[in-house]
Amino acid sequence: MRRNAWRVLRPLLSRLGQAGLVALLVGCIGFALMHALPGDQAFRLAAERYGPDMVDARAAAAMRAELGLDRPLAVQLLEWLGRVLRLDLGRSLVTGEPVIEELRVQIGYTALLAGTALPLSALIGLPLGIVAGLWRGRWPDHAVLGLSVLLRAVPAYALGLALMVLLSVRLRWLPPGGFEGWAELVLPSLTLALGLAAVSSRVARESVAAVAASPVLVFARWKGLSERDAVRRHGLRNAAIPVLAVLGLQLIGLVEGILIVETLFGWPGIGHALVHAIFARDVPLVQGSALIMGLGVVLLNAAVDFACLLIDPRRGRQEA
Amino acid sequence: MSGLAFGRRHAALPRARLAGAVLLLLLLGFGLLGPWLIEADPARQDLTASLAPPGARFLLGADHLGRSMLARLAHAVRLSFLLSGLTVAAAGLLGTVLGLLAAWEGGWLDRGLSLLADTVLALPGLLLVLLVIAFAPGQILPLACGIALALWVEFFRVTRAQARSLLARPHVEAARLLGFGRAYILRHLILPELAPILLTLAGFGIGGVILTIATLSFISIGLRPPTAELGGMTSEMLPYLAEAPFQALLPSLFVALAVLACHLLAGGRPR
Amino acid sequence: MRRRRLPALAAACLAPTPRPGVAQAVTGAAAGAVDERVLRIVAPVEIGGLDPARGGFIFTRMGVVETLLAADAEGRPVPVLAERWSVDAAGLEWRFTLRPGLRFHDGSAVTPEAAVASLRRALADATALARAPLAALDATGRDVVIRLARPFSILLAVLANYGSGILAPAAYDAAGHVQAVIGTGPYRVVSITAPMRLEVERFESWWGPRPEITRAVYLVAGQGEARAAMAESGQADLVFGLHPVTMARLRRNPALEVRTVAIPRTRILKLNLASAFFGSLPERQALDLAIDRQGIAAALLRNPALAATQLLPPMTGDWHLADLPPPGRDLPRARALLASAGWTPGSDGILRDRQGRRFRVVLTTYSTWPELPAIATALQAQFREIGVDVDVSIGNTSDIPRLHRDGTLELGLMSRNYALVPDPLGTILTDFAQGGSDWGAMNWTDPQLAAALARLEAAAAPEERRALAQRASAILHEQLPVIPIAWSELAVAIGRRVAHVAIDPFETSYRLPDMRWREP
Repeated sequence: MRRNAWRVLRPLLSRLGQAGLVALLVGCIGFALMHALPGDQAFRLAAERYGPDMVDARAAAAMRAELGLDRPLAVQLLEWLGRVLRLDLGRSLVTGEPVIEELRVQIGYTALLAGTALPLSALIGLPLGIVAGLWRGRWPDHAVLGLSVLLRAVPAYALGLALMVLLSVRLRWLPPGGFEGWAELVLPSLTLALGLAAVSSRVARESVAAVAASPVLVFARWKGLSERDAVRRHGLRNAAIPVLAVLGLQLIGLVEGILIVETLFGWPGIGHALVHAIFARDVPLVQGSALIMGLGVVLLNAAVDFACLLIDPRRGRQEA
Repeated sequence: MSGLAFGRRHAALPRARLAGAVLLLLLLGFGLLGPWLIEADPARQDLTASLAPPGARFLLGADHLGRSMLARLAHAVRLSFLLSGLTVAAAGLLGTVLGLLAAWEGGWLDRGLSLLADTVLALPGLLLVLLVIAFAPGQILPLACGIALALWVEFFRVTRAQARSLLARPHVEAARLLGFGRAYILRHLILPELAPILLTLAGFGIGGVILTIATLSFISIGLRPPTAELGGMTSEMLPYLAEAPFQALLPSLFVALAVLACHLLAGGRPR
Repeated sequence: MRRRRLPALAAACLAPTPRPGVAQAVTGAAAGAVDERVLRIVAPVEIGGLDPARGGFIFTRMGVVETLLAADAEGRPVPVLAERWSVDAAGLEWRFTLRPGLRFHDGSAVTPEAAVASLRRALADATALARAPLAALDATGRDVVIRLARPFSILLAVLANYGSGILAPAAYDAAGHVQAVIGTGPYRVVSITAPMRLEVERFESWWGPRPEITRAVYLVAGQGEARAAMAESGQADLVFGLHPVTMARLRRNPALEVRTVAIPRTRILKLNLASAFFGSLPERQALDLAIDRQGIAAALLRNPALAATQLLPPMTGDWHLADLPPPGRDLPRARALLASAGWTPGSDGILRDRQGRRFRVVLTTYSTWPELPAIATALQAQFREIGVDVDVSIGNTSDIPRLHRDGTLELGLMSRNYALVPDPLGTILTDFAQGGSDWGAMNWTDPQLAAALARLEAAAAPEERRALAQRASAILHEQLPVIPIAWSELAVAIGRRVAHVAIDPFETSYRLPDMRWREP
């Protein structure tokens, strides 16, 4: 029993170690890059804090003095690393608020968006993929393929705008922006979900198609199970593993999508914050949000590992 | 286990591939011959002809500054394919070489490179692109470098995984034991097996890069004006959707066609 | 329509602490039937921070923070927290008497000491007030007393700037940072989700007449298309920052009213006069003559009347020169002027001077105002026609001030607000006196202009002020230290739920207390 637990724990622990290392690297890369960039950081910060009409040399000088931007780089980096170990991400250079406070609000919104978009994409993509896989080579397969390729050929912001024009301006069903209630959540998460479904439907289709032709299902049919039962008992379970594995990779696509969708719909999440922080040279916020995003990806990948292990215990045994 | 492994088990749709190839050839022809055949200067403006509808003077209409959409699209297609081709080539070369190295050497080099790849993967790709672009805004090279920096990981992971399983096959192991050189084994036993998968990845990559550039210009990061580039034109023309839907949608249509062609050619399979 | 609040749900598992900036303990909350209608204002400008001195204009616009006095639509001072003011004969000692019984949003009394403390903070930061020649700042009885080192005619305008807003002593933490926006205005902060959203509710102990609107939300939407969609879908009652093109579309929408107000903001070309290209007047005049302002105004701004004949638009009154001819494009004359300055076309059509140097310059601009990159591209093509090769660089808002400081700017296209304080003199002084500034002239001085501005600064009779302002404008028009391209208008889409909407051309306030719900 204890050995069994270890089999489950080991891959998770290695993910944990990876998380720490990845996070550290993310922080250092962000720091090094931000400081090597051309353009006086104080001017950028002043532009963000004082607004486009009031940014001038006086404002920049005030920023420089207040934030200690003229200290040596190595000192600033060491300070940051030391504080990260104490879970202190510093204060945003623009707003002066603690980064952790800002991120806490933003992570909530992003988690909400991603948490709605992922199930939604599964709800859209998986049934389509399964249908296409079972009817492979026939018209449902071609239709789903066409739809998926089309969705992937359209940039996320264009898709979002099209949905905005259709669902909120023409049909007036949904509010196009803001973040005050559930209604505002629908458009951004649908935009995100459609992009993800374009990929997941294909994976599901390939996977189901492969399993449908595999000996397991042939045997199940032979042993007298109806087509429906055969698919439900054996087909789906076996098809689920690669779908889950690709879901892990999809999370990265999700992160990219979040950056754009949040910017388009004005969703106050972590992606929106990251884009702004880069433009404003708000180093603590860039580091903080990149750190959180990196950790998020690793964490979700660990969750996917775990799910794969649950569905198919053989994998754990093989790897151990 | 990647989706690619499944793709090979059943034949790709030859008709879809053919359609992709024809579409791609048409686009490339337009991009290569267009700038040469069309006399209009893509930067020449006529503010009185702002958003002029398609007609005798402007075959595909004019944009908001009264420039010929036809001339601009031809230049844009050429630049977009050049840029994405360059980016994918750089990313592919880097990723493949590192992937082979990791698979061949194993040990700490493999672990180090894999960790690096995981790190890059955990970073949002746009973050890398935005950071590199910030060094020289509006220039082509940093744009290509930035995107390549995020893209090589994909090539690395696939090459490493495939090469590892190839190297473990009996005939390859036998060749190694018999003392065939690395170059020979690479050229005759590994690369021929890798090539189709890498080409598929490259196809998706080119489509992806065109989309990435379009997305970047949407958050007002793009090439310097008056450069005509598909992504930049897409977001530049977006506000005129209600007034001149034809001109506003044309660049988006070309982006979609280019990505579609790449995807069809690559087999329409997921990455 | 009832809306459930998302943030609480979103962050439930993350155990959110209440955000600073929320003032809770105020009595007098309306009981019984509550008006649930919430006014929604959508704009592109993000909430930069809580400090009025830094990006705090949102709080002034939303009626949370007030200044001692404000400006009416013509720029004349009107009382706000100060009910009256007086100045001694020398024009050096100003005395502002606060209204009796004023309360901050936390219930504490507004004292002259609190006002002085807020003004002191503004003085220490990069605000408009910090440029005033203050010698002393004191509180005596009910008065705030400001002693000047020399007469300063725009003191009232400077005090009306958002940077001079008055906050309660409890608004600051021990280090002097603003931790909560506790103001005196008709609305108080309910919640802030920086940088995207600000919710306010009516402050029942405000000194003025009770506003009808009980709740309002300020919402940021960065993308122009998203803003337009929010107006069209009826989600927003007031939408600011409309793209000229979308404006035409929204005008056709019967459910919306699109109103435009001329504002004292001009898109200008800033030239480095120390560079090899713009030092002589004929060179600047040639550029001026090469610009197709009507074309730009008609095609890109959709209003030909915005083509700028001069730096300051008609609404600036004394500063606007009447009877100037409409701007004309004259390429032959432009070419002749350049030839007279020693520039002759090379084989590629680009001009070269006697040393063989090409007329190639970098035009720096930024995309905070979405029309600027498009105007820059138009200028690039127009200057090409007289043989000037322009490389357009689109960057950050701060690039122009930064390049001004290190002296490497060549050309800059920017949108300059001449009403940072309600009197244009405030901005003109910083931009054109003493050799220019970040957002003004670069390496250019004119003793006559400096003298006129100094005289204006030291106060004078209205007739003399007008003559001096006209003189200053004429010099700017003749010498072209900056080249005006187009004036601006503020466009607002107004939904049909609200009435009595007044647009402030100085962009200091949304005038929420004046608005009414239109009864269905």
